[in-house]
Amino acid sequence: MSEHFGFEEEEFQGSYNLRTLRRIGTLLIPHWRATITFVAAIAFVAIVEAVETLLVSRAIDEGIKAGSADTLIQTLLMYGFSVVLLASGVFVFIYVTGRLGQQVQYDLRKKLFNHLQTLSLAYYSKTPVGWIMSRVVSDSERISDLVSWGLLDVTWGTVNIITALLFMALINWQLMLVVLPLVPVLLIIATWFQARIIVGYRDSRKANSKITGNYNEMITGVRVIKALNREESSLDEFGALTRQMYHSSYNAAWYSALFMPSVMIASSMAVGAVVIMGGRQVETVVAGGMSVGQIQAFISFITFMMWPVMEMARVFASLQHAIASAERSFSLLDTHADIVNRPAAVDPGTIMGDIVFENVNFYYDEKKPVLKDFSLHVKAGETIALVGETGGGKSTIVNLVCRFYEPRNGRILFNGRDYTELTMDAIHSRIGVVLQTPHLFSGSILENIRYGRLDASDDEVFEAAKLAGAHEFITTFEQGYQTDVGEGGGLLSTGQKQLISLARAVLAKPELFVMDEATSSVDTLTEALIQKGMDALMDGRTSFIIAHRLSTIKSADRIVVIEGGRIKEMGSHSELLRQKGHYYNLYTKQFREEREAAYRKEYAPQGEPLAAGL
Amino acid sequence: MTVFPDHAATSVNFNVKETIVFDKETKKSTNRLMGLFRLMPGYRWRYALALVMQFTEALSNTLALVLLGFMVDQVLNNPAANLVPALVLVAIVYVLLAILRGAFSFTSGALAAQTAEGIALRVRDYLFDHIQHLNFAYHDKMKTGDLIQRVTSDISAVQRFFQEQAIGIGRIMLLFLVNFVALLILNWALGLFSVIVVPIIAIMSVFFFRRVSKAWDAFQDQEGKLSNVLQENLSAVRVVKAFARQDYEINKFEHENTERFRLGVAFMKLHAYFWPITDFITGVQMMAGFMVGGLMAIDGQISVGTYISYVAMIGWIINPMRNLGRLIVQVSTGLVSYDRLAEIMAEDWEVLGKDKTPPISDIKGHLVFKNVSFEYEPGKPVLHDISFEVKAGQTVALLGSTGSGKTSLVSLLPRFYDYSGSITLDGVELDEYPRHFLRANIGVVEQEPFLFSRSIRENITYGVAREVSDDEVERAARAAAVHEVILSFPEGYKTVVGERGVTLSGGQKQRTALARTLLKNPRILILDDATSSVDTETESQIREALDTLMSNRTTFIIAHRIQSVMIADQILVMDKGRIVQRGTHEQLMREDGIYRQTYAMQAQIETELEMELMHV
Repeated sequence: MSEHFGFEEEEFQGSYNLRTLRRIGTLLIPHWRATITFVAAIAFVAIVEAVETLLVSRAIDEGIKAGSADTLIQTLLMYGFSVVLLASGVFVFIYVTGRLGQQVQYDLRKKLFNHLQTLSLAYYSKTPVGWIMSRVVSDSERISDLVSWGLLDVTWGTVNIITALLFMALINWQLMLVVLPLVPVLLIIATWFQARIIVGYRDSRKANSKITGNYNEMITGVRVIKALNREESSLDEFGALTRQMYHSSYNAAWYSALFMPSVMIASSMAVGAVVIMGGRQVETVVAGGMSVGQIQAFISFITFMMWPVMEMARVFASLQHAIASAERSFSLLDTHADIVNRPAAVDPGTIMGDIVFENVNFYYDEKKPVLKDFSLHVKAGETIALVGETGGGKSTIVNLVCRFYEPRNGRILFNGRDYTELTMDAIHSRIGVVLQTPHLFSGSILENIRYGRLDASDDEVFEAAKLAGAHEFITTFEQGYQTDVGEGGGLLSTGQKQLISLARAVLAKPELFVMDEATSSVDTLTEALIQKGMDALMDGRTSFIIAHRLSTIKSADRIVVIEGGRIKEMGSHSELLRQKGHYYNLYTKQFREEREAAYRKEYAPQGEPLAAGL
Repeated sequence: MTVFPDHAATSVNFNVKETIVFDKETKKSTNRLMGLFRLMPGYRWRYALALVMQFTEALSNTLALVLLGFMVDQVLNNPAANLVPALVLVAIVYVLLAILRGAFSFTSGALAAQTAEGIALRVRDYLFDHIQHLNFAYHDKMKTGDLIQRVTSDISAVQRFFQEQAIGIGRIMLLFLVNFVALLILNWALGLFSVIVVPIIAIMSVFFFRRVSKAWDAFQDQEGKLSNVLQENLSAVRVVKAFARQDYEINKFEHENTERFRLGVAFMKLHAYFWPITDFITGVQMMAGFMVGGLMAIDGQISVGTYISYVAMIGWIINPMRNLGRLIVQVSTGLVSYDRLAEIMAEDWEVLGKDKTPPISDIKGHLVFKNVSFEYEPGKPVLHDISFEVKAGQTVALLGSTGSGKTSLVSLLPRFYDYSGSITLDGVELDEYPRHFLRANIGVVEQEPFLFSRSIRENITYGVAREVSDDEVERAARAAAVHEVILSFPEGYKTVVGERGVTLSGGQKQRTALARTLLKNPRILILDDATSSVDTETESQIREALDTLMSNRTTFIIAHRIQSVMIADQILVMDKGRIVQRGTHEQLMREDGIYRQTYAMQAQIETELEMELMHV
């Protein structure tokens, strides 16, 4: 379940946008056959329905009133035939429209997902996952509903009304003209009501997401509420919200309840007019006189006209929503990646060599510079430990090395060459990344490690796992490498996830290794294993490590202390300690913490009294 | 513009809990329909009236159809009739019937909505209050997501039960009843003949919608899988990019997307079979009915008018039946939702005793623990036989590794949990004090304090029920060394914290929580690792505030550093739920045990560090 309980619905406020509508229409082009089929099928159904009404009226006039059993039976057999036609038409339109709706949804989701894969990290860092999910999941559904069932209802409604009017005109055109004003009246009533019903539902949805937010906060904060004796106080506030929800939902229900009756009363007046004016002409021998069956047909046509009008009003109401959805989805599709291969980009076959930051400036937000005139020369095969406070710019340096972002000014050189001259793939296929919070994908451990190199054999995967120190714990599982890691790796501990992501990186045989060390503590054994895995990876490779543990820091070739986007101190472990500056403070503090933790862990299994200390 | 009924306001005092009929053994309500019915007080007549209105609506609808038949027989086909006035009369009656029908339909809809929304409101309000009155043990075992799911979707399901399903089934039955009786009156043989397929359609409908709901579940499962692939892809975007696995991801998504498409089409196919088949059966029944009726009319057994009414009525009998299955299937999911709500409601409230007078109103803070044991789950005790005494105003420090029972021990004081043994406060058993009173007099600052997504000011004043002046708030914040930080935020004290506002660091949260406790000014103070995320510099700033707060107050300190506990009047060293050592710093230093070893270890580390530094 999403954690964005308080996520408020965005609503479309603008006017109908014809361009968006046209673009929605283009979604149907690849499926024009299905589109034509279902439009034809529903039009056919609407016409057959009207014909059935006529057949019933003919049965009355020429069968019953004329006293001819043969005609009656013959007419009703035609009615039976039309029933078969109708059923086949219904089958075709449900099947084709349903399939088309699914197809459009499938297409849209595919298009959105594929496009998302091309976007740069900058896009992801400023767009919440929840927002993107809604575009792919709900918006595509709304849009496809519009072009399938929405279009179906509108076609049905239009054909139904036109056929009804046409048949009425054929029976008695003067009387049809009397009925005609009913159509706009019904349309006006329907739009008026729909507008209000929508507002009610929208308000109630908003209130509902606030209520959910309140529930969420109350449940997560219930211990504080209890400790501070605040059980009663939050009720008033909450009560106001639920009342608001009551009112808006009731409001919508009230209009809904009034909607149908209003349409019906308006239609009944038309029926009344037909009764009086049609009835007067009954059986008069004059041309244009009406039969009983014809009056009955008129009444049927009028009564059944209210359904298409109500359906159409519903579609027009949802049109607003669908357009808003489409605008958001299209805006996603129109977003272009800001980091792409340059026209003459090449793959040099390797990215080994020195890595040089040359006067690099970088910011995510123009007003808040992150790196200022940053220069750093890293020799091939060197291990760099980045240390310093959160927000100082360590992650940014790593993001730039990986080319998840590019410098705003200045250059980054790989082996003497500005890395923007290389293809993205040339870089990404040669780096191994291990993140602080290791992301695993649902599936088996084997699949997750193999993510590092898809064509790796099982043996290669085992080998990588052994190198990374993950093999031991994996084999303790009953299903070994086939063990399911759960959603996002949820069934494993953080340490285990980290080991698997190390194995994944080992398997990729990267030329450049980048790691953001986990801060969360793991048990001593796992920690030793992680260290082993890291050593395997750093061996002979240029490595950037955002380091948190002393052993990592100390084993680095060079330590770079980053603060406020600049290099504060740089050098080897002993050099820096002698300076008694930032690094010194950081080190001594870390030393105490780590040693204490180590003592505790060291003695814990033996049950020594010291285990309980601190 | 809408007329809002005022009864909504009165629903607060309705005790929903008393309505449930719940079997605690099976965790199911023994009679769910009865349970739903018992949620209705105040709405029962309204809802009954809504059903009556459905009946009168069906009746006026049928009357209008009869009227048309009457018009044919008595006006159009009656040469003796005075044509125009009669027609005008028929038209007027027809419109009047439509207005009546409209009025009935509207009233029924509005009443059902009032009932449904009113009951939803009632349950929503009640559960909010109810859940925050359930004890810690309950909240420990329930997952937030699960509770949220219940109070949102399940309440909506109950709301729909009243608004759509119960009344919908009633409507179908009444339409059938009224029209069937009318048909029987018109001509009983024809009437009986016309309903032959009704049971078939009803049974088919139930079976079909059962199948459909299964297909729908499968489709939804697949939708979940697809969302999961998407979600993982989005949150692991760095991994995907770092390994250049875009194509792999695209294939994975494609696979699930195709499967979803397949299931979606399978679901639609069921509909594509059901509706035309029932269309066909209904159509054939109608045709046969028209034929029999027509032949009877030609034969003179029934009039033309009767035939016309008959033709109109038959659709009203058969068509609604096709939806019966949908409603019945929905009712069963509604009942499951009710069960899930009843399960929460069946839990008992923690008695706060707000109105009770405490045995001693001005407590000093003298605490005696005698043979106290405690367990979260039966059979897994976390505290064994704890006995100690704290004089009023003393400071007690608790030292021990994670899981040694320190936090469990202090959480007994505000009576968050029940325990065995005896704890007395100023000589009176703790459980004789109302919980409300105890909690008002005990302040807790936790390691990871929870702040509400409200303004910082509201968070600081959250612990006191009275109005607090800005000056007072500021003083508390200054003492907790968080004033400067707050001023650096865009809207100062009005800045909202959390998802919709600023994110506070661990240390800032701890200091805000400390300010909250300073303002509350409790008699007994519990500092549960309260300054662990505060850096050394800031800690010395709040030291003074802490000292003032602790002086003359019984204080419990849970801490990791020897420095923080050595000033305590009494230090309790805990291990595996027992007190293994006790005394002052000096006393404990003289004993052989964990305390001295810990101290030695810390000293050792300092030496090691010095050695390290010397060798660079």
